Amino acid sequence: MSFVDFLVSNRAEFASLTFEHLLLVGASSGIAILIGVPLGILLTRRPRLGPPVLGLANIFQTIPSLALFGLLIPIPFIGGIGARTAIVALVLYALLPIIRNTHAGIQGVDPAVREAGRGMGMTDRQLLFMVEVPLAFGVILAGIRVAIVIGVGVATIAAAIGAGGLGEFIFRGVAMVDDTLILAGAVPAALMALAADFLLGRLERRFAPGDARTAEVRAV
Amino acid sequence: MSEANSTFVQFRGVSLHLTDGRPIVSDLTFDILDSEILVLLGRSGSGKTTTLKLINRLFLPTDGDVIVEGTSTRLWDPAILRRRIGYVIQEIGLFPHFTVERNVALVPELEGWDEARRRRRAHELLDMVGLDPAAFADRHPSQLSGGQRQRVGIARALAADPPLLLLDEPFGALDPLTRIELQRELRDLQSRLKKTMVFVTHDVREGLFLASRVALFQRGRMEFIGTPAEFVRSESPEAREFVRVIREDEDRRLESSE
Amino acid sequence: MIRRVTMAAVTATLLFGCGPWTRDRIVVGSKNFTEQSILAELVAQQIERRTELKVERRFFLGGTFVCHRAITAGEIDIYVEYTGTALAAILERPPLQESRAVYDSVHEAYAERFELVWGEPLGFNNTFAILVRGDDARHLGLETISQAAQHTPGWRAGFGYEFTEREDGFAGLASVYGLEFAEPPRTMDLGLTYRALADGQVDLIAGNSTDGLIAALDLVQLRDDRAYFPPYEAAPVLRDEVLFRYPEVGDALSELAGRLPDSEMRDLNHQVDVEHRDMAIVVSEWLDANVPTDAEDASLR
Repeated sequence: MSFVDFLVSNRAEFASLTFEHLLLVGASSGIAILIGVPLGILLTRRPRLGPPVLGLANIFQTIPSLALFGLLIPIPFIGGIGARTAIVALVLYALLPIIRNTHAGIQGVDPAVREAGRGMGMTDRQLLFMVEVPLAFGVILAGIRVAIVIGVGVATIAAAIGAGGLGEFIFRGVAMVDDTLILAGAVPAALMALAADFLLGRLERRFAPGDARTAEVRAV
Repeated sequence: MSEANSTFVQFRGVSLHLTDGRPIVSDLTFDILDSEILVLLGRSGSGKTTTLKLINRLFLPTDGDVIVEGTSTRLWDPAILRRRIGYVIQEIGLFPHFTVERNVALVPELEGWDEARRRRRAHELLDMVGLDPAAFADRHPSQLSGGQRQRVGIARALAADPPLLLLDEPFGALDPLTRIELQRELRDLQSRLKKTMVFVTHDVREGLFLASRVALFQRGRMEFIGTPAEFVRSESPEAREFVRVIREDEDRRLESSE
Repeated sequence: MIRRVTMAAVTATLLFGCGPWTRDRIVVGSKNFTEQSILAELVAQQIERRTELKVERRFFLGGTFVCHRAITAGEIDIYVEYTGTALAAILERPPLQESRAVYDSVHEAYAERFELVWGEPLGFNNTFAILVRGDDARHLGLETISQAAQHTPGWRAGFGYEFTEREDGFAGLASVYGLEFAEPPRTMDLGLTYRALADGQVDLIAGNSTDGLIAALDLVQLRDDRAYFPPYEAAPVLRDEVLFRYPEVGDALSELAGRLPDSEMRDLNHQVDVEHRDMAIVVSEWLDANVPTDAEDASLR
């Protein structure tokens, strides 16, 4: 049977796993945004924090995802098997692109714009919210997009620690050497990643420096 | 003798040192008179821009005080001080994501004016700087030429009707023709509005054209302050260097036209 | 000169890289849990002690089906399989309850379909162990799966990937015992299910009856009172060809027949999993104690 047939005949389970997957990605991305964007902004205000914070986020990214899941299991409170541990790991994974892009986006704002703003009497807060963040928004969104697409992929590994999601089909398929089962997990996950990439890319373009071309915004 | 409330800004023994002790400006003591155009002239690195930025507290002095409206800049809230002083910079720095109208009305917006009042004021100012509001109000800076952008920059600086305007080489990035045009318009504007202006430049012709007084800076010190006529007659070596530039320019022009 | 050396090197690589029939070594594989690697190590060391052959170890390959693929493809020569697993999961035949019947059935089928030979059983039966926490078992007085079935509607279950998918796995068990759970069972890496059970994140798992962690984590195995699970006797499975080329391997392995009862297997598992002793040493000690080595004899052959 083709994997499409399998998904149709097991659609309740498919729906449930897809929902779990979306939940894992959604929750972790949301948390990562709430932590990462303010942190990225903070780094532009306190440049000395830059290397340690970015360095730490980078370290989490380089740890292979399965290893990170495994390492988190024994830790009290955030560990154990299941969705909570998976979400913690996914948050750690999503942080680097979000922090880095927020930081780069704001740094990339034309210094003349910043100087004019300050000189005209804008407080730091006003400068941040009226000028810097709006100008950096496209780049920040790009970082979020990268984080989400990565998240969809890494979330498939979450099944190894019992967090559910489409990865479960994949792991079961690998154990049984059953390609249909593997594809039943892999293809929807891939499509989910592509869809996220596409939709967020569209959103990004709406905010991109089109009219606002003065800002030299470097996408990461 | 000027009364205390008719000199908006006073420098008293002002020095600014870097953390390693190197002086950027030293011992500045002078007044800025009401409704004058004080041109700060000097080579690059002579301290003129720094002096300008001490007025709106983008820098704080290491010694001495800069007194604005009777209060030392150290005691002013920076944002409130700056909103009372218009600021125009060479790179212009318009907000690319704001329309021209919103750019002009920035300080009014920060001050909480209502929208109708802001719009009226923005249109009024665009008119004043020679840009037709109907055509320009809704455009974005990226759609403007350099000269047009700087006009908007000047309009922005005037929006909240500040008593003092600081201009840091505002025409430096523009082509020579536009530069001359804007110099003329600025002088006209000033004579109508009677604003006090402090204007930084290294272009001696521009400086002499605009100034009611010239202050010459060399290596962080003010070597001379006086009228353009006094400047031209000054014995100071640096002043004479600058004057010579004008002469050479004229000579070169005479040569090439022969 | 260089050209000749290169040609020789290329030819040699091709010959050695090519197919199992040119190898002078035996490849022993195992599934991805501790007991399997202990058994594979046992087989490997026994062959090394008794024959001149070199043994290559490839442990933790994956689950049942991965190993089966590997041996039918000739990538490994031997691994230890369980009769019940072969019957239900690989051959997909209906379960039988009598050990000898199961053994004979798989023996015949493997020879015919896969050109694989079953060695003699090692002596223990590693069946699926339906496990609950010791506390629960004692408080609720649980000894059998049927008794537990009354409580499961309030419980959560956790299983490994194989148990979830296999014919002799969860689906059959649930239907035979009428098992219902509060939510669909969670699936995860088999090793993690033990921890999940001990931590209280699930209330019932399907582990292995000879696992060392059962005693260590104070888990209780529930008796399969309806005899759902077939016997799972462990025995080495070899490629026909290997036995043909190296009959001494068959001799070596037959010395292991019946020497490893349940209790011994559990003890070996415990030493490795719980006491964290080095596996090769544990196996070596066991062989010294249980399978007399005629060292002089071997060298004389």
